[in-house]
Amino acid sequence: MSKPHHDRTHHAKKATNVGDPQCFKGQAGPAKFKAGDTVRIRDLPDFFYTRCQTYTRGMVGTVTLAVYESPAAEDEAWDNTDKPEWFYSVKFRQKDLWPDYPAAFANDTLETEFSERWLEKA
Amino acid sequence: MAKVLDDKKKGHGHGHEGEHPAAPMVEEVSDFEILEMAVRELAIEKGLFSAEDHRRWTEYVHSLGPLPAARLVAKAWLDPEFKKMAVNDGVKASLKVGVDWIKSPPTQFGTPSDYCNLRVLEDTPKLKHVVVCTLCSCYPRPILGQSPEWYRTPAYRRRLVRWPRQVLSEFGLQLPADVEIRVADSNQKTRYMVLPVRPAGTEGWTEDQLAEIVTRDCMIGVAVPKPGVTSNVKLPVHRAIHPIEHHHS
Repeated sequence: MSKPHHDRTHHAKKATNVGDPQCFKGQAGPAKFKAGDTVRIRDLPDFFYTRCQTYTRGMVGTVTLAVYESPAAEDEAWDNTDKPEWFYSVKFRQKDLWPDYPAAFANDTLETEFSERWLEKA
Repeated sequence: MAKVLDDKKKGHGHGHEGEHPAAPMVEEVSDFEILEMAVRELAIEKGLFSAEDHRRWTEYVHSLGPLPAARLVAKAWLDPEFKKMAVNDGVKASLKVGVDWIKSPPTQFGTPSDYCNLRVLEDTPKLKHVVVCTLCSCYPRPILGQSPEWYRTPAYRRRLVRWPRQVLSEFGLQLPADVEIRVADSNQKTRYMVLPVRPAGTEGWTEDQLAEIVTRDCMIGVAVPKPGVTSNVKLPVHRAIHPIEHHHS
């Protein structure tokens, strides 16, 4: 039995002279969310690898920006770059994230990114 | 491997040369260093890159520092059009200070772990940004150089998201309650740097003068620029009352 051939440098080749995530531009189709949308972070199962922080799961925030298109980290970790998604920057109020956040600092916020699969309309 | 061990030996000097006779050293290599060596050797065997690529890459990364970013901030303070460009497209603005995120690194596709998306976060008198990577230690290396040791520690990464005001006050920065503190958690392909507010007392300064007070810490967001302050925060060192004795035998 011969080993199936897999070019382990295909990702680097795609990004050469273009950059990553620039090399996935235009591949995700229309963005489902836009700046100002209220979203909830889904609590999806993750297998072995994720970049969606536990502290954001189930939390509600506001989309500030559709940032770029890229395969989700959960796919890219396994060298699967077939289905790029839109990534969004989402802003949360700190007092929503942490029950014991001091009320005196109610204005404080946190911003971080998610691929589209992690978001649902709230 | 030899390089890592050499660096370790230097770190053990503590200015004691001459006091101790040469003694066999117990080497401390962390699990992560062993993991890095193993993965690197496998990658070289598989032909993903060569040992020469790796050396060139290391040399490139160690030649980077925060100066281009300081200049970017100074330019943005002086030129509102440039500031607009920096906030909208950090990668494009970086070109004006000599940093090409895509083509400067020897890989020619950006850096394998830093990607090529820079967001410049603009502070205002009522909004203060501070950057962290809770999942690892993502940092805009192409424009800021290597991250400081504390930036990579679990203590900073865990605590900044949850107790940002306490952590900032440990760096000597206390802000009034009406200033919104916004933590940017760099968890995906965007890298962040902070564009702080230009401080009072710098009226009429040149770009060179302004760039001098924009330290690395100001661009991570744990400090704010001040006229006359041109180095990073020095955290106080408290000597142990009962220090551990190292007996090399």
